Amino acid sequence: MPRPVRVLLFATARTAVGKSELAWNVPPAGIPASALAEELARAYPKLAPTLRVSRLVRNGHPIERPNLRVRPGDEFAIHPPYGGG
Amino acid sequence: MSGSLRLTRRPLSFSAAGRALLGPDLGGVVLFAGRVRAERSGSGRVSALEYEVHLGPALAVMHRLDREARARYGVERTVLWHRVGRVPAGEISVIAGAAAGHRAPAFAAARFLIDELKRTVPIWKTERARPARRPRRPPRPAAARSPD
Repeated sequence: MPRPVRVLLFATARTAVGKSELAWNVPPAGIPASALAEELARAYPKLAPTLRVSRLVRNGHPIERPNLRVRPGDEFAIHPPYGGG
Repeated sequence: MSGSLRLTRRPLSFSAAGRALLGPDLGGVVLFAGRVRAERSGSGRVSALEYEVHLGPALAVMHRLDREARARYGVERTVLWHRVGRVPAGEISVIAGAAAGHRAPAFAAARFLIDELKRTVPIWKTERARPARRPRRPPRPAAARSPD
């Protein structure tokens, strides 16, 4: 049984979903990052506005190409605009 | 030599950050501290900010900023510290600083570090507000009281 993707949610993304983390099943070959974001937006409609302005991060690295595949066991983070300081 | 980078739940000390920038040939030392403001928020006032961080990527970006500040401005020592978790109003949430032989590169590097930290490090804050106190109700005039 393939391991799910570990989806990490911060700030407005966490508020929209009501959790800081999700376990999300993807096919063994993985799916493009943009498709995973669309699945999440369908499952959590309140997340959609935040997704439009967020950076997507796979295994700690910003995703530059939307067709980059997210595979079982990966960490996939949603980074809303930053606000440190 | 690498800079001093911290993400911590403990209070930040301005004087400790200053000490990290001391050196016999470092004539220019610039230290910036950001504090949580008790500003108005809705009907109340901010009592604290709650900071959350994506730890691994945040540290990776902070290391990159440190390397970039040294390469661009030629500073010899840097400090980039940020608190996470709950930071009460009045306390320091972030310190950025740099030291060099002269003031110009130290100013430029410190400015670069704080500006880029806010723009590129995955840290988020949420306001925690204390509701405004209700004004005390004035005593009812004697004539308006109901008879015993």
